[in-house]
Amino acid sequence: MRLFLCFFVLATLAFADSPTDAVAVLANKCQQCHNAQMQMAGVRLTSTADLLQHRDKVLAAVAYTGKVKMPPTGKLAAAEQSLLSAWLSAGAVWPANAAPQKAASTWWAFQKPVRPAGDSIDFFIDAKLAEKGLKRGAPADKLTLIRRATYDLHGLPPTNAEIQAFLADTANDAYPKLIERLLASPRYGEKWGKHWLDLARYGDTSGFEQDPYLLYAWRYRDYVVKSFNDDKPYDRFIKETIAGDELYPEEPEAQQGTGFYTVGTNRDMLYKQERENRVETLTDFTDTTSGVFLGLTVGCARCHDHKFDPIPQRDYYRLQAVFMPHQKTRIFLHYNNARGYDLNENTRLFRLQELGAQMMALLDPHRKRLRDAVLAKMSPEVNAAFRTPDDEKTPEQKKITDQFQKEVEPSDAQVYAVLSKEEADRLDKIEKRLVAMYKNFGPGPFSPGLTDIGRESPRSFLPAKGGGNGEEIFPGYPTALGGGDIPAPPQEAETSQRRKGLAEWIASPENPLTARVMVNRIWQFHFGRGLVNTPSDFGTRATASHRELLDWLATEFVARKYSLKAMHRLMMTSAAYTQASRPSPKALEMDPENTLLSHYTRRRLEAEEVRDSILAASGALNLKMGGRPVVPTLATEELYGMSQPLNNAWIVTEDAREHDRRTIYMLARRNFRMPLLEAFDMPEGVLSCSRRDSSTTAPQSLSLLNGRFTLAQATRLAGLLEKEADPVAALWQRLFGRAPEPFEAERSNRFLAQQTQHLGNRSAALTELARGVFNLNEFLYVE
Amino acid sequence: MINRRELIQRTGKGFAGLALAGMSQAQTHAMARAKNIIYIFNHGGVSHVDTFDPKPTLTKLNGSTIPPSFAAGLVTARIDFRKALMRGSPWEFPRYGQSGLQFSSLFPHLGKHADKMAVVRSCYGDAFDHAPAMFLSCTGSQFPGRPSIGSWTVYGLGSENKNLPSYVVMSDGAMKSGAGAYGAGYLPATHQGTMFRAGQSPVLNLATPAGITPDAQKETLGLVNDLNRRHYASREDDSTLDARIKAYELAFRMQSEAPGAVDLTSETPATRKLYGLDEPFTADFGRKCLLARRMVERGVRFVQLFFGTNLGDDWDDAHNDLLGSHEKMAKKSDQPIAALLSDLEARGLLDSTLVVWNSEFGRTPLAEGKNGRDHHPYGYSMWMAGAGIHGGRVLGATDEFGLRAVEQPKSIHDVNATILRLMGVDHTKLTWRYQGRDQRLTDVHGENEFTQWLLG
Repeated sequence: MRLFLCFFVLATLAFADSPTDAVAVLANKCQQCHNAQMQMAGVRLTSTADLLQHRDKVLAAVAYTGKVKMPPTGKLAAAEQSLLSAWLSAGAVWPANAAPQKAASTWWAFQKPVRPAGDSIDFFIDAKLAEKGLKRGAPADKLTLIRRATYDLHGLPPTNAEIQAFLADTANDAYPKLIERLLASPRYGEKWGKHWLDLARYGDTSGFEQDPYLLYAWRYRDYVVKSFNDDKPYDRFIKETIAGDELYPEEPEAQQGTGFYTVGTNRDMLYKQERENRVETLTDFTDTTSGVFLGLTVGCARCHDHKFDPIPQRDYYRLQAVFMPHQKTRIFLHYNNARGYDLNENTRLFRLQELGAQMMALLDPHRKRLRDAVLAKMSPEVNAAFRTPDDEKTPEQKKITDQFQKEVEPSDAQVYAVLSKEEADRLDKIEKRLVAMYKNFGPGPFSPGLTDIGRESPRSFLPAKGGGNGEEIFPGYPTALGGGDIPAPPQEAETSQRRKGLAEWIASPENPLTARVMVNRIWQFHFGRGLVNTPSDFGTRATASHRELLDWLATEFVARKYSLKAMHRLMMTSAAYTQASRPSPKALEMDPENTLLSHYTRRRLEAEEVRDSILAASGALNLKMGGRPVVPTLATEELYGMSQPLNNAWIVTEDAREHDRRTIYMLARRNFRMPLLEAFDMPEGVLSCSRRDSSTTAPQSLSLLNGRFTLAQATRLAGLLEKEADPVAALWQRLFGRAPEPFEAERSNRFLAQQTQHLGNRSAALTELARGVFNLNEFLYVE
Repeated sequence: MINRRELIQRTGKGFAGLALAGMSQAQTHAMARAKNIIYIFNHGGVSHVDTFDPKPTLTKLNGSTIPPSFAAGLVTARIDFRKALMRGSPWEFPRYGQSGLQFSSLFPHLGKHADKMAVVRSCYGDAFDHAPAMFLSCTGSQFPGRPSIGSWTVYGLGSENKNLPSYVVMSDGAMKSGAGAYGAGYLPATHQGTMFRAGQSPVLNLATPAGITPDAQKETLGLVNDLNRRHYASREDDSTLDARIKAYELAFRMQSEAPGAVDLTSETPATRKLYGLDEPFTADFGRKCLLARRMVERGVRFVQLFFGTNLGDDWDDAHNDLLGSHEKMAKKSDQPIAALLSDLEARGLLDSTLVVWNSEFGRTPLAEGKNGRDHHPYGYSMWMAGAGIHGGRVLGATDEFGLRAVEQPKSIHDVNATILRLMGVDHTKLTWRYQGRDQRLTDVHGENEFTQWLLG
């Protein structure tokens, strides 16, 4: 009843100046898409004539009764509806004082952020809390803080020594100093680089049946880690990513950013379907670029005008045209060495072919002789079957050759056994030469990247209805964000400079989305959820919990020269971040999802953090950085189902110390994830991932409890504990930076005694204790 | 308000699955015929013209080329449709059952179930390589990264057994698609298929590690439980912590239940014989079919059997040996699948279980080399049974050469829409917001579903 009254009052009030207000409704709710530039769904509503032409359609659409419901973002309020229909029925005459219409959208996220009044994160957070009658929670204790900050910036737990040093530092600036120390460590780039690699759908292989290696993808991974460690300004990072080749032609390191476009699932894999491959690649580039940098989900507009956001199909193809002239390339990280590598490789192949010929000349006669000797003892049918070329064999002959293959074909060992001394020496020489050719073999100075085929681009077209090409399209920016064309490149240009245009437009402080989207991502990883909780979708269905704070942060980000580390400092030193994770009863009731941040939201470790923390706990963690992906030993049953033979698909790294490196350096196969990581929600790495799941499942418990990895590390940890007078106390100190509580100490010691009985010795019992502790919530959650 | 994601996090649950409050409207749009699915996916591509789509014209014109107009637009990796020669099927096509349903002599055991089987002879796709075609069949897109039909199903319907996964996958080893064919894509990871392996420990890490006695394991779980409960006592506001405690209890129950689910010793000799467990040719797939029945009995929602492997026998050996490959694969699977249908029927499970037999594509009616057939997505066959389906009938047809689906053509989206509908789910309403779109298994397709025909 109250609601009805409310509408009624609103309607009455609004009606006072109906044409002006009706036009306002039209401008705010209809014309963002149905303007002269966009004409979404072919409908323009900018003049009396337009409105009269579409009157019935409009009335039906806003009534939400038919198939077409407008606006798609939500039904108009009753008052707005009646205003609009009254005005339409009256002939839709524009009032004289109506404001001029704008093509650009009025959606808040598409307007450049204006710095709101306010001086700190807490100012905005506290204000929102106060609106609900809530208060900021108590500050967290120092032990909690160092663990939280270290996980957030490093993805690793603090060591006991680090904890004790921090606890002992009673200076006022102990906490800011801690943040500085963490930001200065290279562990930071490994943690935050991984967040970026999720967005970049990074993998070391291409996907599909063969899932072939992307041999140098890891150079991009290392580039990302280094960029974060160097605190490369985000606008610069964007430019390197989208157009490093065009903007920094003399800087190969900067061009590595374009690897972003080469480390995803290779979409060139469909056999004999080059057109389809090309389209899929362009789609991936367009969708990923707009989603990652702009928080725009343009994918829908590939086939039709976007149903919810003011993105007409034409805009999609304008954006796609930017990538039309692209080609994948190898970046020469060091020009002379790269050329030298190629030349050596070329020579090596030539020599290899000669050595191959020599080997065959040496071995084949013997092979044939041995085969013939066996065949001579066999039936004429078998002989005939083996002498018939493969593609001429009858099915029966095929069966025969399958059946007797092993018997007839001599093994290498059999052939070697019949070589003369002189022949064996020759073979030995060949083998020595082969080995010598590879003694200095290593990866070349190449990084995967993108450039253009040249100054001219293939033409782009809108798809015509019913197939084929429609109208020709030229590269440009989305109309809703102000539009604009990318100019043709100067005559002397070596590339189309389309990506340069896009990169500069996205990296410009004038772009309304870029800074907002990035600060929101940073926020998400510190606070558990974004201020906009759809981090790659800032379209009209996105909602912001603290829009002013978002805008304030976005303007801060630009003012602080796009420094990520500055944003970490800002966020992590806020009172909002340093709260304890205990909600008040009132907060639980009023704000169960903790959108308003009345306390810190506890989080589960991410997959990599689980594995890295266990390695840190066992003392095995190897902090070597960068380089070729590492392939750790896995059990056959863990590798079950790999699409290719394991000696091709899982080539275990020889040096076992490498297996204990951080997870970011492990081989990321597109077709296979390490089971422990898969269980803990590591994304597939096929599509861009802006927010991971954090599930709680029985397979997680099983893999953490029974997995080989856990047991191996528990054994190592037990080895460390054995030397301790009080292993329980030592364990708690090592893992949690504190002494065990009496209950924990008593329970654990009782456990040790019982397990020693069950298993017959104390070191096995210690291993069990370690295995158990890896499964504790205190280990798996960040407070 | 707790959103769906949080709900999933907070619910202490088993392998996957949860009947979602938000999903219930998807179900109200269609009456559920089936509670469970057993989806037999034939890995490598089964020749339709040698199995379920008899083509006398091919036999008649054996050795000649097809009319040039028919060849236009047909592409595969290894043959040229303008030059390759027609090849008649080497198998007979008897009529089976009261219905007289015609299919090849490769499946004599299935012949007994002809009246249960509804055959679709007009499937078509546009992917002619294995991995893309498997992705297309199983996820609705040629490119990896989308959720599989099994994941969509359990996302929509949840599970009836908390101690077992809701979506169980069995394979013969390496799959050409990799795990993407049963992955969860952008759906929560809990909805991905769980691979069941051979042996007493069907799920990875189900078994207690070697050297740890059951008593010791119990002791360790006890420690974990006690310390976690102590930790939780001061954090009772956070149900995820409680959920994780329950997940360990569940893991423990699963350690006891799952081996039982795969322990076939309780099956009678008659059942073992029915599935061919004692015959070398049928033992392996027979075991998987029998396991599928046991899963369905225990309320597992979606069981998918990938029959054939990239690194061993599969239908794809037909490239150079049609006869040998198809005889072998048919012999390995005919009796087990027939046994599965008999067994489900005898136990009263067939009406509530949808059995699907499908492949990523058919094979060329034209010969590859002397003895083979290449991949062929332009027209191929599948069949379904159970779930109240009216069998012994054929839907659609390919042209007289078996080249293209010409009557009632059905895309994989139509097939998938039909499968979901039989499970009581409207494929247009089962959605997940990703990249700004409400994504569906059937994307914007699936308008030609044929549920009515199947039930007709």
